[in-house]
Amino acid sequence: MLYDLRRAALPIRWLVTCLLATLGLSYLFGALMVSLYAGFTPKRVAATYAGPEMSMRMPPETTMVVEHPITGTDFAQPEVHTVDTNLLIQDTHVHVPMYGLIAAALSLVVVGLSLRQGWALGLITLLFAAPWLDFGGMWLTKIASERFAIVTLIGGWAMAAAYLVVTVLAVQQMWFSRERS
Amino acid sequence: MNLLLRAAMIAAVLHITPAVVLVKRPDAVQALLPGADAYFAREVHLSDADAHKLHVAVDWSPEDGVLTFYRGKAGSAVVGALEFVRVDTPHGPIEVAVGFAPEGTVRGVIVTKATVEMKPWVLEAVAAGLTNRYRGLKTGDSPGGAAAIAGHVGDLAEYIAGEVDKGVARALAAYGAFYNHVRA
Repeated sequence: MLYDLRRAALPIRWLVTCLLATLGLSYLFGALMVSLYAGFTPKRVAATYAGPEMSMRMPPETTMVVEHPITGTDFAQPEVHTVDTNLLIQDTHVHVPMYGLIAAALSLVVVGLSLRQGWALGLITLLFAAPWLDFGGMWLTKIASERFAIVTLIGGWAMAAAYLVVTVLAVQQMWFSRERS
Repeated sequence: MNLLLRAAMIAAVLHITPAVVLVKRPDAVQALLPGADAYFAREVHLSDADAHKLHVAVDWSPEDGVLTFYRGKAGSAVVGALEFVRVDTPHGPIEVAVGFAPEGTVRGVIVTKATVEMKPWVLEAVAAGLTNRYRGLKTGDSPGGAAAIAGHVGDLAEYIAGEVDKGVARALAAYGAFYNHVRA
């Protein structure tokens, strides 16, 4: 095979290593951001994406008012970060292309690894399927059922798992393989 | 490859950064309803027709079709009312708290939330006196905060001031049409 990371020139291997390290750093902070704003449980993900739109509010025939007393501490209650439909459209528009580019970059690394064709195809599929699951889960949670929050979590974990597998294999083959030279 | 790099740069530039709290809601309530010792949430559930009117007037529909005003009282005296209005921008949402005095004029405006990216723009605009420009406005007035600070701040602070103007305009329209005119 013409493109083999085990036998690639040092600058190529260094480039791939730097790319993987940089993506790893961004994934680490991505996970931190998820923990801050959406969480890692189906309940918290559902609260973020399903929102009040799931209740299918019926507007009253005439405008009506309900007034009730509240206490000062009611203002201090932690708010759930929510993503409404407009924001999810925007998020999908800007995140999915970036996810696609990251999946493409990692797939180029996979192509240079010494793997059986089936494993390589499986890894590439996983790299691209993960963002589909991630955003598919968000949209299904919003428009269909809160139960689909688990799909988003699966997508997120799949993204992390695919990255880790590619990184471990690449580092091992580029820097520690006996067949390197 | 050039196309890929451009796409990556565009995606990075457009990426929405997380929201940050600039002023906690309880602090905003204390500042905009000074001296209040009792609070009431007045939820106005808009009919389709009224929601449409509001949307036409200020290009805005409140979340879930419900406007929420917070009324403050000190003993038996009404201190005023308060609204939290969200404005969605291409850089993410901001939240503006607009307080009204009992006679219906704007007592004060506080930007309570922005995104990490917009925070310095908001701080620059506020430091230039943006929120002072809204005091005394009443229903029917057009907020002109962005125009007032133009030339004294950078382009991005002026831009975000325009978004704060939108929030204040929405609060004024909602307060004028629905706070006192619909009875509980």
